[in-house]
Amino acid sequence: MQHGIKRTILSKEARQDKYERDAIKISTYRNLTATIFQRRAESDFSTEALELATNLLNLNPEFYSVWNYRREILLDLIKKEPGSKKTRLEYDLKMIMAFLRRYPKCYWIWNHRVWCLQELATSNEANWAFELGIVSKLLEMDARNYHGWQYRRFVVESMEDSKKHNASNSDEYATELLEITFKEYQYTTAKINNNISNFSAWHNRSKVIPKLYRLWKSHGQNSDQYRELVTTFQSPYSILIHELELIKTGMYMDADDTSIWLYLQWLLTDQLFVDDLNKREDGSDGKKSFRSILDEELDIIEELNELEKDDHPENKDHVWCLKSIIVIKKLIAKELVDKEQKYRVESEIKEAFEKLIELDSLRKGRYIDQLKEFREEVTTV
Amino acid sequence: MTEFLRDKHIQYVKDLDSKITQKSYEYWLSEHLRMNGLYWGVVVLVTLDVLEETLPKKDVFTYIESCWDSTQGGYGSFPGHDAHILSTLSAIQIQAIYQKEVEELDFPHKNEVVSYIKGLQRENGSFQGDTFGEIDTRFTYTAINALSILGELDTELVSKGVDFIMKCENFDGGFGMVPGAESHAAQVFVCVATLSITSSLHLIKNKEILCEWLSERQVLPSGGLNGRPEKLPDVCYSWWVLSSLSILDKLSWIDDKKLKEYILGCQDELGGGFCDRPGNQTDVFHTCFGIAGLSLLESLEQDSAGGPVLNPVDPTYCMPYSTTKKFRKWPYDKK
Ligand SMILES: [Zn+2]
Repeated sequence: MQHGIKRTILSKEARQDKYERDAIKISTYRNLTATIFQRRAESDFSTEALELATNLLNLNPEFYSVWNYRREILLDLIKKEPGSKKTRLEYDLKMIMAFLRRYPKCYWIWNHRVWCLQELATSNEANWAFELGIVSKLLEMDARNYHGWQYRRFVVESMEDSKKHNASNSDEYATELLEITFKEYQYTTAKINNNISNFSAWHNRSKVIPKLYRLWKSHGQNSDQYRELVTTFQSPYSILIHELELIKTGMYMDADDTSIWLYLQWLLTDQLFVDDLNKREDGSDGKKSFRSILDEELDIIEELNELEKDDHPENKDHVWCLKSIIVIKKLIAKELVDKEQKYRVESEIKEAFEKLIELDSLRKGRYIDQLKEFREEVTTV
Repeated sequence: MTEFLRDKHIQYVKDLDSKITQKSYEYWLSEHLRMNGLYWGVVVLVTLDVLEETLPKKDVFTYIESCWDSTQGGYGSFPGHDAHILSTLSAIQIQAIYQKEVEELDFPHKNEVVSYIKGLQRENGSFQGDTFGEIDTRFTYTAINALSILGELDTELVSKGVDFIMKCENFDGGFGMVPGAESHAAQVFVCVATLSITSSLHLIKNKEILCEWLSERQVLPSGGLNGRPEKLPDVCYSWWVLSSLSILDKLSWIDDKKLKEYILGCQDELGGGFCDRPGNQTDVFHTCFGIAGLSLLESLEQDSAGGPVLNPVDPTYCMPYSTTKKFRKWPYDKK
């Protein structure tokens, strides 16, 4: 599996040269491999064998059987000398860090890191705060690294588990959980402020917000520490208003970025917000109804679309604006009872689909299907 | 448009294990992927209809047997290497593909493999890749795929496995590697294909949003497909997305001509094989998924003159239909 490696064409001489150089490397590699398998067959769990495993993994960090052997050796060494556990595993954590710098996308390396920490966690010796620092650094180098984000969630979950283990009661546990979740929320904010098109951060935010809301409501309202949440997290409604404001900035910064549009769809359809909005009549408590929020969003996006059209050499609509207009109008149409109004909105939706067929022709087949479905819906109403 | 370099690709796969290739260091560094590599090569050859004459069954089966890990009861990737669920699936897939003339498929270590795989399922329904515990929806697919080929799925395993998959569904319609993880085209494929094998596609909360997300993976100017928003296109993602759309019956939601052009543009015109993006280094992984993708695209142009050049590939298993039609369909009839 090769990714992003330029194809090179070697001349006959260059190839011959490479074969000669490779012959030496191959013999080192194969000899080392043979030695290691030999030792393993003899159940050799010595520090010397561990050293040899390090050497081979340095040559090939994807050699999963050698990682397995390494773990067998470590477990045996620790069994023989329990006091050495922390030192041994922390040595591996350091070693893995160097590996990750070279191969940030190698599953087997991440896997070994997780294993070391899980072993340390059984004796309450895992330093999760340190791990969080490390993964933050890694995500600074590559803000979308899939493994990195995955690892971050693993660290956070493990922190939570260890709190659960050590907390004396459920309130204490919830308070600890709130603190962790709040930090993760702030982390996504920082990542988004850094780069609005970081979808990994938006994704995490969508997971963190509902959790933070529940925890803050039950255990944080009186704490000074979370003062900044008092206005934004009062209700799902206030969160929604806050988040819509946040993506509005994003839309104007870069309308072509898909992250914000996906996030908008989440905000307007997730049960957390929709249920809260459906509880109130328009203006009943000085707050906007679902319908007026949809109308406002529509205005904003239509205005943005006009700006984008002005910028376009042929005065064309903006594709993502059109798609989002459709999402919102579909939601509006669903709420409408008046037949005539409904018919009008649905005609507008069809018009937008027809524009998309022309403007976003890669996905023409999709719009044709969606349009068809819509025609049927209109006639059945 | 570059034409499809059929003969070059056959030669490319043939050469993967040649004396010359063995002179390069990279060949030895990929031992841990050899069984998977063999499966990718076999898929290429069977799709091009030249399997048995290019890679004789006897040699291949001897190799597979030499990778049997009797301690664990699964297949490793290379003789002496540890069993892993990924290499075990590849071994089973290759054995199934080669049994062309047989109706009732036969596997030399069937019972051991079944208990090895079943033993990797955890309490929450997920599967680990080996005894050291890495969890990933990829392994759920791998396990359920293998057991389906062996005809040995069972109700409890399927229901727990599917529950776990559904916990990985996201608001954007896609699926991640574990609950909470971001949607990713390869993970979408493994989850959708698992749901397809277990006749559970109806559990998808919003099929339309999922298919929209999949169709958004096609990007300009190349026409290739990427794996996540704001990422570069890649031939292997073209397969993950295309096969998912095919399973969900929405292949028309992307531009097949543009994609075909992109995939063909990733061929190495001199040495054969495919790479991730035009001009890059080829490998058998991208060659397999490039050709499997072209086969799916070809299924769209059935009525065009000349008939199929490529054997049809089943998007759920990435194996020829002629093989997958022999698998017992879940839920099994009570005997
Ligand atoms: Zn790729």
